[in-house]
Amino acid sequence: MIRRVLSRPAGRIAVAILSVIVLLAIFGSALAPSSPLATTSAQLGHISGSHWLGTDYLGRDTLSRLLAGSRASIVGAIEVALIAFFIGAVPGIACVYLGRVFEWLTLRLVDTLISLPFLLVAVAVTALLGNGMTVALLVVGVLLAPSFYRVSRAATLSVARSQYVEAAQLSGASLTWIVRSHVLSKVLPPISVTLASTVGTGFVVVSSLSFLGIGVQPPAPTWGGLLSSDLNYLSYQPWAPVAPALLIIATVWAANLLADAIRDVSGDAGRAYVSARVKRPRQPVLSRGGE
Amino acid sequence: MAFITGTAGRETEPATAAAADPILSVRDVHIRDQGTGREIVHGISFELAPGQAVGIVGESGSGKTLTCRAALGILPDQLQVSAGSITLAGHDIAGLSGKQWTGLRGSTISAVFQDPSSYLNPSIQVGPQIAEVIRVKKKVRRREARDRALQLLRSVRLRNPENVYSQYPYELSGGMLQRVLIAAAIAADPKVLIADEATTALDVIVQAEILDLLAALREDTGLALVIVAHDLAVVAQLCDQVLVLRHGEVVEHGSTADVLYRPRHDYTKLLISEHEQYGLDRFLDSPRPDQA
Amino acid sequence: MASEDRGHAVIVARARHASRSLLRNFARSIAIFLPVFFVATFATFLLRALSGLNPARIQLGQAASPTEINRLEASYGLNRGFFAQYGSWLNGVLHGDLGRSWSDGYPVSTLIRDGLTISLTVATLALILGVVLGFALGALAAVRRTTWIDRGITSFLSVISVIPAFVIGIVLVEVVAVELKLLPSAGFIPFSQGLWPWLSHLLLPALALSFGCMSSVARQLRAGLIGAYRENYVIGAVVRGLSPRRIFFRHVLRNGIGPALAVLGLEFPALIGGSVIVETIFALAGFGQFAYTSAQTGDVPAVQGVLVISIVLVVTFNLIVNLALGRIAPAARRGV
Repeated sequence: MIRRVLSRPAGRIAVAILSVIVLLAIFGSALAPSSPLATTSAQLGHISGSHWLGTDYLGRDTLSRLLAGSRASIVGAIEVALIAFFIGAVPGIACVYLGRVFEWLTLRLVDTLISLPFLLVAVAVTALLGNGMTVALLVVGVLLAPSFYRVSRAATLSVARSQYVEAAQLSGASLTWIVRSHVLSKVLPPISVTLASTVGTGFVVVSSLSFLGIGVQPPAPTWGGLLSSDLNYLSYQPWAPVAPALLIIATVWAANLLADAIRDVSGDAGRAYVSARVKRPRQPVLSRGGE
Repeated sequence: MAFITGTAGRETEPATAAAADPILSVRDVHIRDQGTGREIVHGISFELAPGQAVGIVGESGSGKTLTCRAALGILPDQLQVSAGSITLAGHDIAGLSGKQWTGLRGSTISAVFQDPSSYLNPSIQVGPQIAEVIRVKKKVRRREARDRALQLLRSVRLRNPENVYSQYPYELSGGMLQRVLIAAAIAADPKVLIADEATTALDVIVQAEILDLLAALREDTGLALVIVAHDLAVVAQLCDQVLVLRHGEVVEHGSTADVLYRPRHDYTKLLISEHEQYGLDRFLDSPRPDQA
Repeated sequence: MASEDRGHAVIVARARHASRSLLRNFARSIAIFLPVFFVATFATFLLRALSGLNPARIQLGQAASPTEINRLEASYGLNRGFFAQYGSWLNGVLHGDLGRSWSDGYPVSTLIRDGLTISLTVATLALILGVVLGFALGALAAVRRTTWIDRGITSFLSVISVIPAFVIGIVLVEVVAVELKLLPSAGFIPFSQGLWPWLSHLLLPALALSFGCMSSVARQLRAGLIGAYRENYVIGAVVRGLSPRRIFFRHVLRNGIGPALAVLGLEFPALIGGSVIVETIFALAGFGQFAYTSAQTGDVPAVQGVLVISIVLVVTFNLIVNLALGRIAPAARRGV
């Protein structure tokens, strides 16, 4: 599947951009010309030879902060997506086998989670529970879990009840073989799509939170935090928000592009439509920002 | 299959029928797929005079539906009339603009298709959909349009026009829906009605009723008919001339009697013999008729 | 006549069916709302225990003596058992009393109400902007599908749908307020002081919020309309000689609008959630700001009140959208 995604131009662009971003995340601090925390006296300085993107209000080199900040944001987004995956996929798969009551309970929980206004809850709960990064990631992960729940439940339903699994079992195929050849191929595409778009959404949420100063401990730099301080000094450095904004936009756009490419490549398997006994929510399966 | 041996079509030759100005004239029309370059219809021609009925018979993919769509101006984007001409009530359709087409459709030429339920808006009652055509095309007010719609429903032999008027499409049966569609199609008094496999999906009794209805409309209003079917029996009862299409080509064209009793092409002979082999008559062992 | 009776029976049955399905719709929404409500309120109540916060920290500071702390807690009823507290809080909520703030003892409902008007105004404006512009763009793209207009609109939508609200907000402030000096960048002026001052302060924040809604609505409408255009009843209408304009407004739009309306229900929580960001950028003292500051100071009853109100808002909105869907597009509701 990876090969097929790469064969499309959209897939190539997305993977290219994301690879750059990931490299930045890994090597950003090392690449930074100066320490992101080192303050100098050249406050709010303009673009110059020693400071390619100028300095912020404390005299810190903006470029270094940008490079160093990439890790927090990207890692945060990936962690959020993984947390959401586990919290969502496990009940999603399990509820097919654990009976109606469990299913009803989890469905109601999911309904609750979707109807909560995202950022508000994230802000409120994180702040109440200590303002730390781990808490923030957990909360956002929980909030983003519903899409994984829906997708894995739909995929599991379509596989568990399908006739070819029964037929395979009847003809004596081993469970591992069934899982590998049938279940995975049915389940992997929609989950990959959701994963990609959740990384995108998670990234948006994490940077929004860091914009508000939640989840990150200053003076550690994040892209959202950079934008926040840029806002205060907009009249002095009107061009300052451009760099972090572009990076944020590029990352989110690439993540969604990747999700779209995977979905296009997987055809019908990529759309985890649920039919028959499941109540059809007439809404897009993926969360906001990932349509 | 009593039709084929029953009251066969009239004996009038196509030549004398077309002496009056034809209302629909199809001359050597070729239809090509612009995308693949493949020609799908290779030269179909016929002339239809007012009050006449022409039958087009062929299997799926033979080009009969495409010809009708060309005559209605609703060919899919990538298909075009690459050669030949179609003249509708004296207008060459090649030069018609969208607005002119909108004017012609409904009031000069109209159509009913297979699967009647899908051709009506599912969220509006059927009556208002007929009234809408009347209101727009005849420019009358709501109340009068409603009355005329009810009249139309009566004329297509629906038993409770008032009830049917306020039903939704999903509440009516296939036969009733087809009558509704016929009513909507003739609401603006067109001169030509195309029935593209209009009875294919209906059961035999209903099919007979619809065909009777079409015949009656033709008698009463002088409506010209284009009956498209893949079954010769449907066409035999109603039409003056018949075309048999195969793979986009006309393999047989003549008056109904000629085609049915003196077929020249092998394919036509095959179609007829299939009827004789599997038709009800053979089973009932009724004697071969003479024209009655 | 028997047939007349049958016709009459059909009409009566249909009326009964309509009101029954309305009731069923309502009941279904309530059935979803109730568990949501209870679970969410219980969870927020749990937060207090998890967070280990109490009013003493805010009001009395670090140097408070245990007696003072106990007295303060007792005055807030915090020395009772967990479920007793939950019970009385829930009871209060159902009567409109959201408890008292830990910061200053004022009733939370009053504090929220002040900010809520501002936030709801911005959110409504954002909704209107998003829906109107989204409809226009989606409809235009669908009617002119496969032309460059459609492609341009689709690319535009896919770009703005991914940009986070705060980035848009900052860009707007940057471009419109600072560079072009067209609109103010902060503050709120009540309606009583004039239409334009009031509107000019709200336009940018509303616009920033509206982009997400706009792109969702436009996408869904475009998809819905394109799907509707492929249906046979469009051919039926064309063949009857109806004009393209009439076909669009009376047939296609009616049947294609379903997904767009349905997605509105999903967008509303996003609007409320986004209010936090937007109010920070544009210095509006609204609901979101209140939530933020309460959370930062650890004022648990205030946060609980905020969450309760948010849920009520979202569910009410969803109810309205569901009812509207039922009236406008019964075919969509039937799942046709």
